[in-house]
Amino acid sequence: MDAAATGRAARRALSPWTYLLRNPRRILPLFGIQALVTCLLVLIITPTNAFEATAEANVRPLEIFTIVSPRLRREFDEELLAVLDANPHQQERVRAKMLWVRTPMIVGEGYAPLIALPVEVRDAFLKRVELTLVDGRLPEPGEDGAVLHEAVVRARGMKLGDKFGQLIDPTDPTPGRFTLVGTLAGESRMGIADFAYADQPFFVLARRDPFQVVYANAGAKDASDAYLHAATQEDGESAFRVVDDDYVRGRIEANLKNLPLILGFITFSVAIVVALVIALLNMIAFQVRVDEFGLLLAIGHARRRLVGKLAAEAFAVAATGWLVGLALGLLGVWIYDQVWLAPQGILLRVLDPRPLLFSMSVPVLSTLTGAIALARRLRRMDPVAVIQRRGV
Amino acid sequence: MNAPTDVLLEALDVTLEYDDGSRRVRAVDGVSFTLARGMFLGLVGPSGSGKSSLMFLLAGLRPPSSGEVRLLGKPLPASPDASASARREHVGFLFQEPFLVPYLSVRENALGHTTDAQASARLDELAAEIGMADKLEERPHRLSGGERQRASLLRALANDPELVLADEPTANLDQTTGRAVIDLLRRQTRAKGLLVVTHDPSMLTGADRVLFLRDGRLVEG
Ligand SMILES: Nc1ncnc2c1ncn2[C@@H]1O[C@H](COP(=O)(O)OP(=O)(O)O)[C@@H](O)[C@H]1O
Ligand SMILES: [Mg+2]
Repeated sequence: MDAAATGRAARRALSPWTYLLRNPRRILPLFGIQALVTCLLVLIITPTNAFEATAEANVRPLEIFTIVSPRLRREFDEELLAVLDANPHQQERVRAKMLWVRTPMIVGEGYAPLIALPVEVRDAFLKRVELTLVDGRLPEPGEDGAVLHEAVVRARGMKLGDKFGQLIDPTDPTPGRFTLVGTLAGESRMGIADFAYADQPFFVLARRDPFQVVYANAGAKDASDAYLHAATQEDGESAFRVVDDDYVRGRIEANLKNLPLILGFITFSVAIVVALVIALLNMIAFQVRVDEFGLLLAIGHARRRLVGKLAAEAFAVAATGWLVGLALGLLGVWIYDQVWLAPQGILLRVLDPRPLLFSMSVPVLSTLTGAIALARRLRRMDPVAVIQRRGV
Repeated sequence: MNAPTDVLLEALDVTLEYDDGSRRVRAVDGVSFTLARGMFLGLVGPSGSGKSSLMFLLAGLRPPSSGEVRLLGKPLPASPDASASARREHVGFLFQEPFLVPYLSVRENALGHTTDAQASARLDELAAEIGMADKLEERPHRLSGGERQRASLLRALANDPELVLADEPTANLDQTTGRAVIDLLRRQTRAKGLLVVTHDPSMLTGADRVLFLRDGRLVEG
């Protein structure tokens, strides 16, 4: 053996990997617990992004247009329309009715907009929001037909010809009655109905607030929304109720406000328990290595270096356990998404940085507690006692 | 040959007292001697006479209650951690038990604490001389008792120490195997210093000098 090979052999003898790979049965519980917990954390944390992912898709149409209704008055009278048209950033506005369609989410439900539009503006509208008809047809004028986003249709388990609305099911938050006549595809989750139908006098939908769909000039959506929020009527009262993307997003964020805190708390609690278990298992596993370390101390190995070796071993187990747990968790989330969520129209981001960051506390804390426990054990170790077998 | 510069180990009136709760035990009591290069020194005494205690003093694993131990002319520091590097560099150890790491091969057990690049070549040579050449890649559990003690001999010599301290290295072996181990040890340490501690005087027939220990004190043999 040459000098380099000697160095390698000497290093290998004390390398953490040599111990880990040659003592699989002692390492497996340590590795397994950390991999399992990491995997479970990924499986628990990742699906919580389905709230945001689905809600985000429901908000997307409102990044393209803004919906306005009178705040105090029953109708858009001439004064209110004049205030609207004084908006320098407005490109166009369309009379509409705004309803909401319930869509099941991973927990509870969300709402996608259903907008009743006059037939003549419909095609231009679909183009603006980048939706295309993929099945069935668009509603005829005066007909109760509605087209919904394919994900909403899938999530609600509907097929063409199905009827929905409060008149069909009293628990349905969509007022009136509609028949599904077609499905839309695209990034924005929304549906379209016919304005003439929704605006019939004496029909229940006529009681709904009147709306205007406002399109801003290119790049001026924020300025236009600001104008609408600030607009006042004659008596100085603010004129409109404005539903824009900021408004809806704010409500979603308010609903999810405590989620990161709760996830952090859960993860941290789990990580602490795991870390304590790991420290305990490390101590137990160390019992059979008392001779090994007693001898190394006796023949002159520096205590600091031996602590380093034990810490490196704890870290190697924790890091590999974490990586394997992440991989398994990702695989699990992907399967969950494919088999369960996607068919229900629930959006999920499989690759989410949060479980990665949160679950990192498992290997970090485990390495720390494991290394600290072993370091204390080693610091108190008397090599003479090991050699003399007087107990340690 | 025993020029003053060649003194490897010196015990100067060393005493070791244990505080055993109620009473104080004086395990080593005013021991002085020197061990020069090329010398095989034997230390005999009945069980409990303080042989191991003296050995731990000489190794720097216990600080003396009084007196001084000098290794290669330098006083050993009081803390075992402070003397660790000197121990690793200059001293080889053999104990009653071989203390081999079970998951490492004989070669890895020996190389694990070497500090120089020639160690492996030296190890191959040594292994051939003590009949362990074909056992270098074995794990300890596949070896006999005598082979295990020879494996720990390889570890003790792998770093080419100036001095070998052996505490009852033959106590777990039968008479013939024990003798063989001592002979190997002697042959491999001709140019070094060797101290063998034993309760069995028959193991020390080749020794240059034999010290007798009784109740912690050296007595004339
Ligand atoms: N850690 C200790 N605490 C108290 N007494 C000890 C301790 N170690 C050894 N002794 C005592 O010191 C004496 C010498 O022990 P030891 O050096 O082991 O002798 P030997 O190796 O010759 O059998 C014995 O009386 C023993 O009981
Ligand atoms: Mg003894």
